[in-house]
Amino acid sequence: MKKILIVDDALTVRLYHRQLMETLGFEVGEAENGIEALERGLSEHFDLFLVDVNMPKMDGYRLVEEMRQEPSLAATPVIMISTEESEQDREKAYLSGANFYVVKPADVSELQTYATLLAGGA
Amino acid sequence: MLAASVAERDGTISDVEFERFRDFFYRKTGIRFENNKRYFVDKRLLERMQQTGHESFRSYFTFMRFQASRDELQELINSMTVNETYFFREEYQFKCMVDELLNEVVRHKSPGESIRIWSLPSSSGEEPYSIALYLLEHWPLLAKVDVEICSSDIDSKILQSCRKGIYSQRSVKQLPKALLKRHFKPLSGDRFQIDRELRESIQFTQANLNDATQMRRYRNFDLIFCRNLLIYFDDASRRQAAELFYDALNPGGFIFLGHSESMSRISSLFSVRKFSKALAYQKPLR
Amino acid sequence: MGLRKRAVEDELETVVLERGYETLLLALRSESALNRRDAVRELSAYPQAVTDLLNTLTSEPEHAVREALLGALQQLGGEPVVAGLITLLRSEDAVLRNGAIEVLQTMPEGVALHMLELLNDRDSDVRIFAIDILQQLAHPQAPEWLLSVLKDETHINVVSTAVDRLAEVGRAEMVPELMAIKQRFPKEAYLAFAVDLACRRIEEV
Repeated sequence: MKKILIVDDALTVRLYHRQLMETLGFEVGEAENGIEALERGLSEHFDLFLVDVNMPKMDGYRLVEEMRQEPSLAATPVIMISTEESEQDREKAYLSGANFYVVKPADVSELQTYATLLAGGA
Repeated sequence: MLAASVAERDGTISDVEFERFRDFFYRKTGIRFENNKRYFVDKRLLERMQQTGHESFRSYFTFMRFQASRDELQELINSMTVNETYFFREEYQFKCMVDELLNEVVRHKSPGESIRIWSLPSSSGEEPYSIALYLLEHWPLLAKVDVEICSSDIDSKILQSCRKGIYSQRSVKQLPKALLKRHFKPLSGDRFQIDRELRESIQFTQANLNDATQMRRYRNFDLIFCRNLLIYFDDASRRQAAELFYDALNPGGFIFLGHSESMSRISSLFSVRKFSKALAYQKPLR
Repeated sequence: MGLRKRAVEDELETVVLERGYETLLLALRSESALNRRDAVRELSAYPQAVTDLLNTLTSEPEHAVREALLGALQQLGGEPVVAGLITLLRSEDAVLRNGAIEVLQTMPEGVALHMLELLNDRDSDVRIFAIDILQQLAHPQAPEWLLSVLKDETHINVVSTAVDRLAEVGRAEMVPELMAIKQRFPKEAYLAFAVDLACRRIEEV
């Protein structure tokens, strides 16, 4: 079973995404900010990170930058989710190393399709 | 029928209650319980409910959250973290220290420069002595490098007993027999006293993390053990503690927290470092 | 070589020399980040340093120094700190803004005086940050403030943030207002999920 780490500071958003991913057959872990995501990602294997941009302590951009520096996480696919629609924010996400960028509220089937694609199946 | 179902519910914790408790506990302590800890958490909660005379989770939860003294929260943390100290507790961190972490620290040292380790809280002394024993037994480089261990506690009485180094059978039960024989002297009443040499190798100091002036004396450490202490602090005090540790560490120095603790809600000053047996937090090198 | 106890007089008992206040203020502008950080740490004992610390915060580039500045301001506390940090909610710098929010979360009494004003701010982002400040459930009025958001707020992201918080601090009497949200925003799948979750938790606990 493939595993996804959901990284978001809002409890209900984590649980919402958890439900969307579990429906597809993924196993799901949660983290509240970038630091916790690194702690978890370094301790166990995940096939995909679903990352909110704006979080306290360590935001999504920095998390992905740190992941790309870290050999064991450098190749893990990342979907970044943001409330910002601007080209600038999209570009910043891709520059930091994200594989896909989604604007909130994310289209459910789009999110599910790309998650499955990037994780290499559920 | 209704009464029966209520009574039945009173002796258990529902899924939603568990989730709500888990989120609350995480906010207060930084400790996250996954679903696989459900049985453990329920059992501890039911014990505390019984101890405090609350029949339903709901009434216990309300009581605990709004109690001004925070005594019950403290009790609950104690029971959830099984906070007892014994030699070689959470041994994987000592292993990580001798197998990987200190070897990395040594590479940044000049010849003749010693490695400094700070263990706090001393509590009854098992942790600092475990560090010393582990180094003696498992770190060959100790023949070439000096290591200084300092251990601090706010409680000066407990420091007295640390210096005596007398322990119960229970406290030493994890130690290999040969090691116990080599470094401890058996006393009457199933007690053991650690070697004088070891007792004299550790500096025990009284220290209060809230005293900024006093804390300025703690500098140039390469490794800090601070396990299961910050869980008792509120957010503001945790942040202050992280600042103190940052100041106390050399660049590139490390921190070990307790195995269920996380730096993620405390501070962004440190990087997360993965070693093969443990996670540690590192002050950036430059 | 081996285990060695450093003589106590050697380091731990060294008397730390106090630098004067003016010297510390000058050190805030030092070239070296290490010196700046040390100065900030010492200034956390001087209530008169609040304005200088706040001003330094917006221009300080080094993360470790910023963290020390936020820590010092948290330690000093008081109305000038609260007011100063609130102005940072409008900063374009997300890291700085989040830092300010985290410190404000630990000052429930001070923040309380500003809360209604923040929840009615013209900028929806500021209203969201106000709810973020309420996150730590430290203030007894938090549930009422969140309820007022449910009743009066029109911006969906602000409402979503409030519902998220109520999943943790909501009370039974708020269920009708929560349910009403679902009717006001019928097409929002996430919001419907969040409302149901909040209600389920409130009703059971």
